[in-house]
Amino acid sequence: MTKVIEVRDVYQAYGDLEVLKGISFDVHEKEVKVVFGPSGSGKSTLLRVINMLTPPYKGEVLLRGESLMAPNANLSKLRSRIGFVFQHFNLFAHLKAIDNVSIGPRQVLGMTKEEAHDVAHDMLCKVKMEDWGHHYPAELSGGQQQRIGIARSLAMSPDVILFDEPTSALDPELIGEVLQVMLDIAKEGTTMIVVTHEMGFARAVSSEMIFMDEGVIVEKGTPQHFFQNPETERAQRFLLRLEVLYGQAEDEKNSE
Amino acid sequence: MGLYFFAIFLGLGLGIGFAIVRQYGGSLTSRIATGYIEVFRGTPLLAQIFVVTLFPPALNAWLVASGMAPIDILWRIFLPDPFGNPSIVLNTRILLCAITLGLNSAAYQAEFFRGSMGSISTGQSLAATSIGMTRRQLIRFVILPQSLRRAIPAWSNEAVYLPKYTTVAYLVGVEELFAWAKLAAGRTFLTIEVYVLIAIVFLVLISIISWILEYTYNRVKIPGI
Repeated sequence: MTKVIEVRDVYQAYGDLEVLKGISFDVHEKEVKVVFGPSGSGKSTLLRVINMLTPPYKGEVLLRGESLMAPNANLSKLRSRIGFVFQHFNLFAHLKAIDNVSIGPRQVLGMTKEEAHDVAHDMLCKVKMEDWGHHYPAELSGGQQQRIGIARSLAMSPDVILFDEPTSALDPELIGEVLQVMLDIAKEGTTMIVVTHEMGFARAVSSEMIFMDEGVIVEKGTPQHFFQNPETERAQRFLLRLEVLYGQAEDEKNSE
Repeated sequence: MGLYFFAIFLGLGLGIGFAIVRQYGGSLTSRIATGYIEVFRGTPLLAQIFVVTLFPPALNAWLVASGMAPIDILWRIFLPDPFGNPSIVLNTRILLCAITLGLNSAAYQAEFFRGSMGSISTGQSLAATSIGMTRRQLIRFVILPQSLRRAIPAWSNEAVYLPKYTTVAYLVGVEELFAWAKLAAGRTFLTIEVYVLIAIVFLVLISIISWILEYTYNRVKIPGI
């Protein structure tokens, strides 16, 4: 399988605070990587490093063998091939849902208005938002906004999509609709790197999970590996905490 | 009136330009923009008008003194009048006054626009960058459409201040409303009446401007926000 993304020994710091300390991994075609770990472990920074929103001070990132850090790299062009879905959606507030999706194909890929509109419509169907195209972001629920965010990324037909805690800012009852869309596109063979604590999602589609803590990769493995016998003590502790959290929620629900 | 419209639109164009350069320009260009804005906001308008309108005669004096031919600063455009009493519509002095008012207004307007640009969430800039937009596209398609809308209430301040600032032009001999008032008051001795009339004219004018801006603001408002 061909490598879509190669992350090679990247380091990133905010001032004196080292956030990433030598991260390396590869993402292959049609793979879904789930990155998880405690808050402050550098997961979100890692995603921002991959598409150079915050370039690393050391190391290298390659997209299909092309370095994003080469001095002559056309960064805008390379970025257009890497989708990004944000925790807080970050939709363009002045554009209708459908225009949020079509602006990339129209302005960046240079499609005609009609072509871009058609692409946007198809993507809205994919995220089941075709009836909401003429609403503005502020008129949509969080779950709907996030699905538009996903459609906006999909419309660029990227090589890989990065998801930065896509469901963390959502009310619990809205998480499901976003995860469903993510499951659908994962099953269609979209290459994805997903930062999330949704272990159900990880179990369903992830090919490899990466556990990060304090700027390093502590442990890698399949979902089965993590859910049955995580090796490191840190991963065990973290997974237990997640379980306790969700277990409690489960108990409270049952007691009602 | 002409003075006002010329100055407000010159200021609008330049103001948006300076705001973009100050906010998104390189370190040198944004410093130049900052310098321009601070100089024009930090010195009195009257002083600026004096300096600019006195410049051409001073230049000519210097040209003559150095033995060169002076440039023609006495050109003017008359409005033909059916009663044989032509009035000047444009001369060097009026033009320079209008330009100075525009340059001054640009500095204030730039700050209104910069403020509204800063209020657009960084998340949207990241999103635009992440779908591969260049900086230019980001400003053109994401920042400007939103910040111009948001700037309207603050900008209306400048739009209603400027008509009153134009009266400063009277002090360098540009015949605007105030000059006319003084003349009328001198002729008729109805000093209070004339100035009250002028106040009413300004009030009406400014109310109309406010109303137009309010209407525009509601018209272009983003639904749901």
